[in-house]
Order: sequence, then structure tokens, then C-alpha cells
Amino acid sequence: MIELARRGLSDLGAALRLRSVWWALASEDVADSHRRTVLGPVWPLLNYLLFVGTLILILGDGGGKAHFTSYVAAGMLVWLFINDTLSMSVSLFAREEGFIKGTVLPISLYVLRQTLVIAIRSFYALLGAIPVLLYGGMELTPALLSVVPAIAVLLLTAPAVGVLLGIAAAYFPDLRFMVVNVTRLLMFLTPVFWMPAGAGGWRGALYHWNPLTHYIDIVRQPMIAGTIAWNSWAITLSITALLSVAALVMLGKFNRQIVFQL
Amino acid sequence: MVSIRATNVGLRYPVPRDVKLKGDTRTTVGGRFFAGGGRRYVTALDDVSFELRAGDRLGLVGGNGAGKTTLLKVLYGIYEPSVGSLEAEGRRDALFNIGLGFRHDATGRRNIVLRGLINGWSNREIEQRMEEIVEFSELGDFIDMPVRSYSQGMSARLAFAIATSFEPEILLMDEWIGAGDKDFQEKAKARLEKMVTKAGIIVLASHNNSLLGRVCNRIISLDHGRIAWDGKADEYFARPGVK
Repeated sequence: MIELARRGLSDLGAALRLRSVWWALASEDVADSHRRTVLGPVWPLLNYLLFVGTLILILGDGGGKAHFTSYVAAGMLVWLFINDTLSMSVSLFAREEGFIKGTVLPISLYVLRQTLVIAIRSFYALLGAIPVLLYGGMELTPALLSVVPAIAVLLLTAPAVGVLLGIAAAYFPDLRFMVVNVTRLLMFLTPVFWMPAGAGGWRGALYHWNPLTHYIDIVRQPMIAGTIAWNSWAITLSITALLSVAALVMLGKFNRQIVFQL
Repeated sequence: MVSIRATNVGLRYPVPRDVKLKGDTRTTVGGRFFAGGGRRYVTALDDVSFELRAGDRLGLVGGNGAGKTTLLKVLYGIYEPSVGSLEAEGRRDALFNIGLGFRHDATGRRNIVLRGLINGWSNREIEQRMEEIVEFSELGDFIDMPVRSYSQGMSARLAFAIATSFEPEILLMDEWIGAGDKDFQEKAKARLEKMVTKAGIIVLASHNNSLLGRVCNRIISLDHGRIAWDGKADEYFARPGVK
């Protein structure tokens, strides 16, 4: 087990040393997605604003509820990051088949490339979220600083999920379809645009037992309430630590075997 | 000192679960099938041992699916041997998939950078080689146009110019590569010959005996993933039935 984790770490280390490669590939990926369009990188920002704006209009009782506005704006920001991570991870290695069969780059490199692409997209969404959050009454409190480490937690969790889902889907391609469906459901099962009114019943249970809630709350709570969600921090840090260890072991076990599954 | 040492190298990989094999799995092409632990496997390479030192030019011969490309990929490091061991000293470069990773929306120049990074070149090395690559490809001002606007021959020129712009210590080739129109082909041939002369070790898989006879001093013949013959090139070509 320790030997496998060590192998995983050396794969990851090699990929980190090659950061100029995944950095360049990721910037090409992002640039490609809106090349020749007039608005260019403004598109992910617009997508976000349209989506959030619609939700606020339809579910927000026609304005007046400032708290709900920032609740959705912050929740959707994290949700889109989670959604991209889940849906892209299941096709991660299949997408990179040409590279994996033609070069000797460490496979973590593709995980980091994907994470960076998602991070760049989320950054544009964040630019759209800031004015909405300020309009929704976000106050500049000291707790707001905790958003920075919270984003770091998300950025650390995404590669671990990428490795685990990517490898699993390479061996069980059915997972691709399962995850697409589950992710769609998860958007409704996660408190992105509904609140745990009274914290009882199904909603309350979902709110507390869905781990995704806590990944959202470490970012959202300081934005909308000016406080730090300590409980969510404890939960997310534990889950991320577990996922990271599992990902390193899986990486060590399968990094040289993936090529035979594509 | 460049060297390659393969000791009892074997490579087997699982047959996908949804592939149903019917009856007789003894074939004239490809590796050998075998079953184990509820799954079926293909043995693509079996007990392959050899040693190469600086100056060796190894030709790999054998029918389709005999394991030539698989062995090249093991030597390059894409496949890890399932059994046995492989030790290689020296920088390994491969000339298969030379168009891999071309971004059609990016310019020729940007593609040189990307390809260079993938090959493991530093930014300085890329900068140093840039003008030479551009010049060799003869693409002129097109180098600053998206690759999407290139003809197939133009892309091939660029791919070839990038792939052959380094001096490898160990060069792995799957068939001789060439590119472009008649004039360019002559130029490409000269460039490749020069590269081959400079490389410490060459492993070339090919069906072209006259090419192998010209380039190689040693031949390994593979059959169903096993070494069927190993010896000096002139002895191989002197055997009855080999031309």
C-alpha cells in the first residue's frame, strides 16, 4: 500500500515538474473552446450570469430577498466547479488516448490539465459572481478571507476525484453514463438553490448528510453570513484527505496499466 | 554510455470483457491468447532478451502483429513489461505518431512550442530550434497561420521538421518516415539519414528489407511475440528465402 502510494507520488511529482506542458495544453483547451467567437472568454461568464439570473428570478419570489440572491450566486459557483469535475473526470483518460498511447508523459499530467481547465472556467464565473454577490449584500468581513483556503481545498479535491473516477471509468465504461445521470440528480439533491428550511425532514437530512453541501458551505457561508462553517471545514478536510490518499494508491497501482484499457 | 538491456521481457494485456472469443484462438497473426483468473489475456511479447550498445542498429522484422511495434513501445516506455526487466541508458526518442497533439486552431509556431514541451524540451531549447524548424519546413509566412489552414502535405512537413530537429541518443522508429512532395522528400531523406548516423542506438521496425539492409547491422525476427531469429544483418539477408 505504501509502495503504491509512493509510486503514485512519483507519477504526480513528475507531472508537477512538467507544469509548463499541462499549463500550455490547458490554455489551448480553454482558448480552443471559444476561438473565433466575438465574446471569447466572456462566454463562461455570461453562461453563469444567465443561469444564476434565471434561478434568482424564478425561485427568488421576484426579488426583495437579497439573501437568496447571494445564496444562489455562491452555491452555483461551487456547483459548476463540482459538476465540471465529475462530468469531465469520467472521460478523462479516454479523451487522452492518443497521448497515453503515444508519449511517456505521467498520467497525472492529464488530471492536472483537466483541473486547470475547470479552474480557469470557474475563474470567469467568479468574475460574474462578484457583482451579483455584492448586489446580494455580501459584506467584506474578515471571514471572507477564508474563501481563499476554501478554494484551495476545492482545487486539491478535484485532481483526487479526477484520478479515482478517471481510472474507475477506464475499467468500467458504464460509469460514464451513471455519473452523467447522478450528477444531474445531485444538482437537485444538493442545496444549491434551495434552503434547508427549519432543517427538518428530507431537506434537512440532505443538507447535513450530502458531503457536497459542505464543500459549498466553506465557500458560501463566509460570503452570505460573514461566518466560517467550521463543521463543514472539518468534514471537507477529512474527505479530501481520504480521497487524496485513495487517489495516490490508485494512481500507483494503475498508472502504467491504464494504457491497456483504452 | 548509451545502452539497452532487455531481460526476459514479456508483455501481456487483458482482452476486454465484452469481447467474446470463439473456438480456435491459434492465429497466424498477433500474440497468443491464454486464459487465467477468469479472464483472457493476449501475450504480445514473450521472453524477449537482447542487449544493445552504442553503434548498434537493430532492425525488427516479422509479420503483422508479431510484436514489432509493441516491442518499440516497451523500449520507449509506453508499456511497462509484465515480466522481465528493461534497462535503458540514454535519452530515448521515438518517431512514431509524429503528428500527435497538433492543435488545428493554433498557429504553426505555437504548435512547435507545444510539441517541443511534450517532447520534454526546455523553453530555451524550443527557442533555439524554432527558426531552424521553420526554415526546414519551408512554410514561410504560413507558420503564423492556424494549422487548420494547412494542406495535408504542409502539416506533414511541419510534423517531420519538429520530429527530426533533435539529436537522439536512442532512436526508435516504426517504419521509415517521410513527408511532403518530391523535393521535400529528398530533403527529408537526407535529414533522417544524418540523424540516424548521429544516433547512438537505433531500433527500426520495418517490412522493407532493402531499407533494413542499408541501415541496420543486426536483425531480430519476431514471431508471435517471441524472438525467432537474432543475429548479424548480413547473415540474416544471406539466409535462403530472405531477400
